[in-house]
Amino acid sequence: MLLGLTVIPPAEAQTPKRGGTLRVAYGNEILGLDFHTVPGYEMIWVATNVGCGLINITPDGKFVPDAAESWQISPDGLLYTFRLRKNVLFHDGTQVDAAVVKFNIDRIMDPATRSSMRTFYEPVHSVEVLDPYTVQIRLKHPYAFMMHMLAAYRMGLVLYSPTATQKYSLEDRKAGKPEAVVGCGPFKLVEWVKGAHLVMDRFDKYFEPGLPYVDRVIIRVIKDPVTQMAAFKASEIDFIADFSADHVDTLRAQNPRAQIMTGKETTPMMAMMKVTVPADGKPMSKDRAPHPIFNDLRVRKAIGCYGIDRKEIVKIAFKGQATPWLGIIPPGTLDATDVTHLCPYDPVRAKALLGEAGYGPQKPLTFELMTNTEKSVFSVIATVIKEQVTRIGVTANIRLVDKPSWLITTTQDGSFDMYVEDLASLLTVDQNAYLSITTAAWNHSRHTDPKVDEYYARYAREMDPAKRKAIAREFQEFSADKLYWNTISGSPFYQVAQPWMKGYVYQAEFKVHYKKVWLDK
Amino acid sequence: MRTYILKRLLQIVPTVLMITLVVFVMMRSVPGDPVVALLGDGYTEEDAIKVREAYGLNKPILVQYVIWLGKLCQGDWGISILSGRPVLQDVLVRLPVTLELIVLSMGVALVIAIPAAIIGALRQNTWADYTATSVAMIGVSIPEFFIGVLLLLLFSIGLGGLLPSSGWVYLPGTCPMMVCGVSLWGNVQHVLMPAIALGVGRAAILTRLLRTSMLEVIRTEYVTTARAKGLAERPVVFKHALKNALIPTVTVMGLQVGFLIGGAIVVETLFAMPGLGTFGIDAIIGRDYQQVQGFTLITAFAFVVINLIVDLTYTFLDPRIRYA
Repeated sequence: MLLGLTVIPPAEAQTPKRGGTLRVAYGNEILGLDFHTVPGYEMIWVATNVGCGLINITPDGKFVPDAAESWQISPDGLLYTFRLRKNVLFHDGTQVDAAVVKFNIDRIMDPATRSSMRTFYEPVHSVEVLDPYTVQIRLKHPYAFMMHMLAAYRMGLVLYSPTATQKYSLEDRKAGKPEAVVGCGPFKLVEWVKGAHLVMDRFDKYFEPGLPYVDRVIIRVIKDPVTQMAAFKASEIDFIADFSADHVDTLRAQNPRAQIMTGKETTPMMAMMKVTVPADGKPMSKDRAPHPIFNDLRVRKAIGCYGIDRKEIVKIAFKGQATPWLGIIPPGTLDATDVTHLCPYDPVRAKALLGEAGYGPQKPLTFELMTNTEKSVFSVIATVIKEQVTRIGVTANIRLVDKPSWLITTTQDGSFDMYVEDLASLLTVDQNAYLSITTAAWNHSRHTDPKVDEYYARYAREMDPAKRKAIAREFQEFSADKLYWNTISGSPFYQVAQPWMKGYVYQAEFKVHYKKVWLDK
Repeated sequence: MRTYILKRLLQIVPTVLMITLVVFVMMRSVPGDPVVALLGDGYTEEDAIKVREAYGLNKPILVQYVIWLGKLCQGDWGISILSGRPVLQDVLVRLPVTLELIVLSMGVALVIAIPAAIIGALRQNTWADYTATSVAMIGVSIPEFFIGVLLLLLFSIGLGGLLPSSGWVYLPGTCPMMVCGVSLWGNVQHVLMPAIALGVGRAAILTRLLRTSMLEVIRTEYVTTARAKGLAERPVVFKHALKNALIPTVTVMGLQVGFLIGGAIVVETLFAMPGLGTFGIDAIIGRDYQQVQGFTLITAFAFVVINLIVDLTYTFLDPRIRYA
């Protein structure tokens, strides 16, 4: 499986130079530095450089060693045994051993930690230390994506020094105290001053000989894309970790030699419709009542399937640089199937379905279309949808809110009819479970269909890749038919590097590693 | 005078407290809270309830405010719910950046406004006056971010990186972190565009105001007398006319500090500066209540103190003014 395609020229042909400072721009602030609990890609992109894990994943989907040098999976798929390297040190000088792995997984699985990764470890029964450098993870049931999960779910398991973790508080780690944030990665944290910069220096005792190449990485937050472009043009930064799709053409015109990296979209752009509401008026209540508009499948299909022209949205909102898409899994995700043909733009059919559902000139349909201010493209998409549904006699009233208001409304079962947003980047179908099974807090449509849960369970436990692919296809067709999850398109992701930045491997949002980066200047 | 200053200083306390109370209540009245952002993908209702309890967010608003106030009295500005960082520490790191920006913006405004207003008043209804008033009108009409973007396009992109587009270099001896860019020239380069972007709008307002005041003052009898007794034009303008015309301008300058703080949010975001403006907007967007309170406290305090200084300036400009 490809994590992404890249236009970056191969750098391996040249001999890497050591030294220099890599200057990186992030588009959003880092929220905190407790790697197991704090959300946000920006934090994770730091964690995967300060920390190391058991294994890693390459852009073509192969698992490669990190702190573990080898591994074995038992024939029944219940035992994962990892043999650790003996030369892996934390930045505080302590050794990475089997007890460290157990400590970290136990910490994530402990409900008191409140790790957002806990849900991924549901199949794990226990972790055992077999000897100082051998650790075994026992599963409750076969789980086809155990290696994916360890390598890359929420960007993968990151090991913390137990010594530092026990000595310092959660607040210390969140606040980024260097002595509290102790990993075993290629860079050690020097300083994080929120709003100013994050500085990491090369860890000279990193276990991969000769790596990393650069002496220092300085990460600054530059939120405005125009300022990012100005800083890039003036060579004030070497790398933009997340660049706005809207400005790619401008940046390319200004910097013909810039390395602009992108790949297949792994994040879905959604027009989510709410299916049920709390019957007793209490948010998140298990007592559900039908949503007055979108519980009716005919209305969901009229609006979400036939009434939305996905190609037009992509043309206007993304200047054609995204894939019109319907499936529950975005185009760049493993086992994604293109089921977009199941929902061709057909206003006549949409009107007919609305008529069947009792809507028409005498009883016009009006709904609220919520979106948020995080990305300007959301408002553009909402506006195009509003215009498109007008063509079938439906009024969409746009409600623009800020991100926290959107978050609280959606995750707390608040009042909305439809929203436009892009959600998490997905490596596998399985990873989407925590966003869409019936019991998930992020099941924003609040569907109650147990068949969705069954599909996820069957898919995750099927060890035969061919059979798994068939389940995935069936599930995506089912999802397109029920429209509990209404995808509009993929959401393109871009990274930009100066021509002298070499050795970087594009892996979309999943991995941002600086250890092999070197500066050819 | 001393009694007056003491009274005004004492007035600062209830004023700032009232502002912090209003903001405290308003922040908790808007939808969203930091817990959802804190838990992120791992959000569950059960965890959210526990976290709200842990941070005392489940208590009545006034109780929360009293707790915050009690800690403040002990010098504890609180801990950011999202980042876990002490609020006071972050405020102190960022305050010098914003202070420098605001002071220099006001400097830019005065450097533009005073000559433009004098020329406009002394040469009323000439091309020089029309130019000054027209430019002032344009300056008032253009928002800070737009001027900032134009400056970026010109100096950072168009002129091949003549001025840095973003970030900050500290003045020697002021670096509050372990790793800093420190250089006087670097600091000047970094602050120039943000100060101009923020100062131009204020310059426009002050130009219009000062010009009007100057027009009134130069028609007064004492200015006519000064001229009649043969005093040169320069002392007439600068010593007699300008000094008196400045009183309403100084009043407005004090009030403009509030606009400068608001403008700093936009300008600091545009130029990616590590100042209080970006701190404040991140806190508001993240619903990080402790940080919002810290931001409110420091900006309210600065606003009130600056306006006290403005009031005291009157006595220098017009010795007839006496505070009892």
